[in-house]
Amino acid sequence: MSQVTRERLFGFRHAFDDRVTVVLTLTALILLLLAPLLIFVVTRAANSTSDKRKELWDRYRSWIWLALFILIPILAGAFWTILGVATLSFLCYREYARITGLFRERTISLIVVIGILFITFAALDNWYRLFVALFPLTVALIATGGLIPDQPKGYIQRVGLGVLGFALFGSALGNLGYMANDWNYRPILLLIIFAVELNDIFAYICGYLFGHRKFVPNTSPNKTVAGALGAIVLTTPLFALGAHFVWFGTALDTPVRLLGLGVIVSVVGQFGDLMLSSIKRDLGLKDTAKLIPGHGGILDRFDSLILVAPAMFHYVNYFVGFAAGQPQQIFSGWEI
Amino acid sequence: MGNLMEPWKLEPARDTGLTPSERFRSVRRESGLLESLAHHVCFSMLRSYFAIAHRLTIIGRDKLPAHGPFVLAANHCSHLDALILGAALTPRHRERAFPIAAGDVFFQSNVTSTFSAIMLNALPMWRKNCGPHALADLRRKLQEEKAIFIIFPEGGRSRTGSMMPFKHGLGMLVAQTNVPVVPCGLVGTFEALPPHRRLPQPVAIKLVLGDALQFASTANDRTGWSQIAAQVESSVGDLVTQSRTA
Repeated sequence: MSQVTRERLFGFRHAFDDRVTVVLTLTALILLLLAPLLIFVVTRAANSTSDKRKELWDRYRSWIWLALFILIPILAGAFWTILGVATLSFLCYREYARITGLFRERTISLIVVIGILFITFAALDNWYRLFVALFPLTVALIATGGLIPDQPKGYIQRVGLGVLGFALFGSALGNLGYMANDWNYRPILLLIIFAVELNDIFAYICGYLFGHRKFVPNTSPNKTVAGALGAIVLTTPLFALGAHFVWFGTALDTPVRLLGLGVIVSVVGQFGDLMLSSIKRDLGLKDTAKLIPGHGGILDRFDSLILVAPAMFHYVNYFVGFAAGQPQQIFSGWEI
Repeated sequence: MGNLMEPWKLEPARDTGLTPSERFRSVRRESGLLESLAHHVCFSMLRSYFAIAHRLTIIGRDKLPAHGPFVLAANHCSHLDALILGAALTPRHRERAFPIAAGDVFFQSNVTSTFSAIMLNALPMWRKNCGPHALADLRRKLQEEKAIFIIFPEGGRSRTGSMMPFKHGLGMLVAQTNVPVVPCGLVGTFEALPPHRRLPQPVAIKLVLGDALQFASTANDRTGWSQIAAQVESSVGDLVTQSRTA
């Protein structure tokens, strides 16, 4: 393993090499420090019930944990980041499999889990060809695994659910892990996560202030057209600004391309949210689990990120590419 | 529009909406991939342990029904008992096997309930305030999930080694159903790990399985339950004396 690779995988000393990382980390810490004050003022002013107050505090406490689980691996090194993304993939798949009932199909679940393990290896290894090959190969394996019980009844359903599960939580989320092969992965990932979370908050605030017309009342009754548009208007320039510093002087660094990326993050982020709403509504559930107090399940929290990861990965890949100059096939490429 | 597809039959896990600690204590719990793996590994290791340390002999293994639902009812004088019955099942059975364990011992703290649920796949039975609906939930689970229950109808470990009278909770699970009850006699577990000891002694243990009993035509009321308890008690008692003398 070369020195560069080792530094990227485990070099926590480089955590704050990039200014954007410093700014985003500090912003996160300041927000977490100010939030209790804000909650205190708001609950006092609104004279809210103790239930509402408890929920806000639960949410806040959960956010501290979430922030630590997100920040620490990203700052610590690419190795920990990729493992973190793999953990996220597994937890999301687990919730998905349990709410759809797919978890009872042991063979298919096992294949999806193995697929996620391979995606994680491909990301750690910086082996792009394997990473790309894994989607069709795993789909083929799921279609084959579905044959094992020798029961055609329900074949389409179990294979379909398995493929969707792998596509969303193995393949799509895996793009997030693969981004960690870029030397400057820290600001990229932090920027995405920040933008996606802010996008949710902007949509909520704009909807609250200006929302009249419902957006998709059957899928998600609280979403409004004003919320959706407001989020695009606010998230796009903020993200473009951050991206300008991250990809300074590259082919991506033109106003149109940066704004295009911002629009993608905002729009696709909202679609991810709606996608999970649809899944839950189809099943008649409110939350995917009761794991994070005040939030619901892992999926409820990270839904917007799922579709953003591949969209953004391939947009950036088209113009500049990830992992430029990084050694490839770190583990598998050894000469025997 | 108007020509929408037929909906798929999607059945979320029965424990959806429970927090992790509620889930471990819940009768509605359904194991996932990792948990199933944990039960398998745990009981396979226990099987080797019993074979080596206790020279476990199992007589009448062919009396086990091919698949669930069924109930294994045994005499109880040691913490080893449920582990032995679990280990005696085939790997195919283990997936759906649930030892019914005392809530106040195995599910009191988060640590013990996590262990009992993940490693042993145990379900809690609260001895102090176990209402009829707790048993009704178990009765439903037994049939709907084609489950296998490992039950000790004495309601606790015998402190003397001799069998105590069976309680009629067992009857409430199986009366007027086609669920067979397999009586099991355990010999040697009291000597191996009596309630007052902490660590097991390498004493030989014998498990004898009897012919499955059916209670499809026994009334699902108090007299029926007592009748079932009495009948299973005498079968288990016979198996124990039979294997002691043999």
